Amino acid sequence: MFCSTLLRRQSRGKIFRRVDETTSTSARVRLFALVNCTHQQGDKPFLFIAVVSINTSTARFYLRGFNAGCTRMNVGVAHSEVNPNTRVMNSRGIWLTYALGVGILHIVLLSIPFFSVPVVWTLTNVIHNFGMYVFMHAVKGTPFETPDQGKARLLTHWEQLDYGVQFTSSRKFFTISPIILYFLASFYTKYDTTHFIINTASLLSVLIPKLPQLHGVRLFGINKY
Amino acid sequence: MTESPTNKPGNGDVCQRVRNGLKPERNGLLKTLYCCHERQPKHQYHPEEEEEEEEANAEPCHGGLYRRPFIESFEETPMLVAVLTYMGYGILTIFGYLRDFLRHWKIERCHIAREKEEQKDFVPLYQDFENFYTRNLYMRIRDNWNRPLCSVPGAKMDLMERTSLDYNWTFEYTGRVVHDVINLGSYNYLGFAENTGPCADSAAELTVKYGVGVASTRQEIGNLDRHEELEKLVAEFLGVDSAMAFGMGFATNSMNIPALSGKGCLILSDELNHASLVLGARLSGSIIRVFKHNNMQSLEKLLREAIVYGQPRTHRPWKKILIVVEGIYSMEGSIVRLPEVVALKKHYQAYLYLDEAHSIGALGPRGRGVVDYFGLDPRDVDVMMGTFTKSFGAAGGYIAGKRELIEYLRSHSHSAVYATSMSPPVVEQIITSMKCIMGKDGTTIGLERVQQLAENTVYFRKKLQEMGFIIYGNEDSPVIPMMLYMPAKIGAFGREMLKRNIGVVGVGFPATPIIESRARFCISAAHTKEMLDRALSVISEVGDLLQLKYSRHRIQPSLVRPFDDNVYEEIDD
Repeated sequence: MFCSTLLRRQSRGKIFRRVDETTSTSARVRLFALVNCTHQQGDKPFLFIAVVSINTSTARFYLRGFNAGCTRMNVGVAHSEVNPNTRVMNSRGIWLTYALGVGILHIVLLSIPFFSVPVVWTLTNVIHNFGMYVFMHAVKGTPFETPDQGKARLLTHWEQLDYGVQFTSSRKFFTISPIILYFLASFYTKYDTTHFIINTASLLSVLIPKLPQLHGVRLFGINKY
Repeated sequence: MTESPTNKPGNGDVCQRVRNGLKPERNGLLKTLYCCHERQPKHQYHPEEEEEEEEANAEPCHGGLYRRPFIESFEETPMLVAVLTYMGYGILTIFGYLRDFLRHWKIERCHIAREKEEQKDFVPLYQDFENFYTRNLYMRIRDNWNRPLCSVPGAKMDLMERTSLDYNWTFEYTGRVVHDVINLGSYNYLGFAENTGPCADSAAELTVKYGVGVASTRQEIGNLDRHEELEKLVAEFLGVDSAMAFGMGFATNSMNIPALSGKGCLILSDELNHASLVLGARLSGSIIRVFKHNNMQSLEKLLREAIVYGQPRTHRPWKKILIVVEGIYSMEGSIVRLPEVVALKKHYQAYLYLDEAHSIGALGPRGRGVVDYFGLDPRDVDVMMGTFTKSFGAAGGYIAGKRELIEYLRSHSHSAVYATSMSPPVVEQIITSMKCIMGKDGTTIGLERVQQLAENTVYFRKKLQEMGFIIYGNEDSPVIPMMLYMPAKIGAFGREMLKRNIGVVGVGFPATPIIESRARFCISAAHTKEMLDRALSVISEVGDLLQLKYSRHRIQPSLVRPFDDNVYEEIDD
């Protein structure tokens, strides 16, 4: 039993492991092979030129995990994390809280007697996407001062997640959840045209900013500073 | 490449035991240590070994590296509590936005710094959003911090009572003083924060003789004979060749790490290292890599990769590799796994920098710190650093090690060249308290205090765990973080405890991870058992009121195990 608690305890270091996972598995296998065969040579770590080359982009991701957020001065804090905003979405229980929040929103809307079921689903979808757009793609910076002299001041929360590393678990989760909501809304509105147009527009407004190509991009200078 | 015999798992069985949540590597120093000693008969220490199995991280034996069980537990957040915590922060955020909206439209009075009306169109001077948490969360519970004291902060202290008429934006003193508040927040581990007694008397005498300030650096006119004596005493206390003392603990780290490592060196530092260590590492210009907190597999992996790959682009070998760890981590209450770190450093030929800010004087049977606690040789640690602030009731820091190292630091350390040397009464306080701990003043007061602290720690931790609170950290560390989780409970806990005359320190997001807000207790040797009992009953009462007893691994209250000196005498060399 204590092993499982140990395992769960170490999930605090999730950010670190996630960056590891972005390297291709073949690169990691090559790393371990290197580590295995070189350690047997004597004691002195002499100059060793890696025989197997590692893809530079994956190596960059790998090393980035080491250097990200470990060279700053954090006075009076319990961790060496420079920007705690980057790890909030990986914390324990936040995905569940988010799902429960959407569920509660839906139930509250269902309780209003004037709205029919299709209208409620469209409203849930639209309000959820609007909230997600505002908090993840419109509000910039951090609500607290960070010790890195404001590197993240011009970045939205989505761009701050995991220090800009793409395709991490929480990014995938938050990309998939509006899509699932869209499927449900389309189903319950019976693919009616008006509802379809509203739902699709709302979904696009929240999916397009999540594309990695739009990382840091501001259209027409809106929300730039 | 052939595998050397030491790397094969012993006796053909694969050790599947999970350490620190990671699978053991196929090759690795730590792995071989565990495997080779798997078959040794386990001579156990505690009769209640069954209870340790329930706790998170009981590690007996460990290949003979540890002579006493190393029990650390960091119980996981219950899921319901995590969800409620996020909802709490969510509600606070929504109300924060509402209040900001009201302030912007002048419906609510605005206390924060604002620009003048004429300058509204200029480039903004104040970042409104960066102060969001300060304005809307911290201000609401601000009365729990920066409380003014009007007595010496020993085991009990006097606070000035203050009220606020505008919700903590400004405070007024009522004129009354709250007397005899039990102090669970000061780093007063051995109880030397007192204004009477031999330490205070000798410091007063020396002030009359030498004055209050030195007004010079160590290299110029500021090197007093008391400084020399202090350094000899510190070296003797720690069991090393020589030592050097500096005026400020933070400055000791930030000014000396740049002198020890530079470009072309690698610093491996723990995730939760203090700001002074991080600043020193950054100022040195070395490459810094962070390993997971107290996780020896992570450290070993980093070491091996560093040695294999060398420096980043050129792949030249590193000039030196410096492992930076702390003795006790003050926010977690965990103790470093020093035997494993020393084994790793010897195997991979790295250097070890040990920051004993909280553990010097507080751990070990003779109070000599974490090296003494594990029974290791102080010469194994290359650079021993510590502060005089916590256990000695003074201020300043020291670095100790080999004679050549200290001679080098005397000329190359930034602090020796540019910083003023320590003030004479402070030096005298350290000398007297250190002599007291060592027993050189002819009494056994020092040793009694060390033992009293250990007793108090064990007692307090055990009782808190029995009551059902979630406590982090090692069983023997005098720093006890107790989890509160929800932001409102930080404020509520602080206020309720003060109402019942106990002063505690609470910490929340963003200083801690978002779901791990905590209250931190620091046990002192000056706390008597009555004070601890009173504190425990009050904490239990407040815990019931605020529903803080989250722990699901309740330990049955066993027979109170009497703390006896025999526990330490089992360590023989």
